[in-house]
Amino acid sequence: MDNYMELKLPAESKNEALARNVIAAFCVELNPTVDELDDVKIAVSEAVTNCIVHAYGGGDGEILLRAETDGNKLRVEVRDHGVGIADVEAARRPYFTGKPEDERSGMGFTIMESFMDEVDVESTPGVGVTVKMTKSFNVGK
Amino acid sequence: MTESKLIGTTMYIGLSGELDERAAARVRSELDTILSGEGIKKVVLEMSQLKFMDSTGIGVLLGRYKRLTGRNIPIYLANPQKSVDKVLNLSGLYEIMPKVELKEEA
Repeated sequence: MDNYMELKLPAESKNEALARNVIAAFCVELNPTVDELDDVKIAVSEAVTNCIVHAYGGGDGEILLRAETDGNKLRVEVRDHGVGIADVEAARRPYFTGKPEDERSGMGFTIMESFMDEVDVESTPGVGVTVKMTKSFNVGK
Repeated sequence: MTESKLIGTTMYIGLSGELDERAAARVRSELDTILSGEGIKKVVLEMSQLKFMDSTGIGVLLGRYKRLTGRNIPIYLANPQKSVDKVLNLSGLYEIMPKVELKEEA
């Protein structure tokens, strides 16, 4: 592990942009391309937004954003201590949304999976959700 | 503020900044206000100034589409930046809101 960071954020909408900017800044040392940086930013935005929208019923709560670099590989973890997901497999299906009344696309996990190399989702209902993602930069260069 | 201009019966709307969950409520409300007018037969969302969009943005666009489709008004998505284009492609939204290229005009 070459570098790491840990950030605690209130689960509030204003922190979506902050989370994106923080993870982008953290990645800079890996010399990512603009595309790779955009990929990471959107994936983190999705994970953080899930916490804000779903974890605490829109109320108060905290998000833990952790990241580490390992050679050219980025590992990101977004964790909350909210309601959790009862059926992770169902939640990860495209177009599934926990709030159908709210005009949501249900594309969050699909985007994370497309833009990152690996996505792991662990949850215990009532305890929280941990999303772990990895991305290798400048592959083949 | 979301810019818009009605030229003939086409409403051109310029999306800018970042369309994430934070911005969603405001953009949704601005779009609905702009689109509530009469005399609109077509909508073009000009996206060259949109720096970021995630799946919340997809939801906002989809919601607008559903409303306009009931009024038989098609929506076109113009000049998306590369990262926004990628998300739009992934979402399948181009199937219902085609991508177009807008040359610099108004």
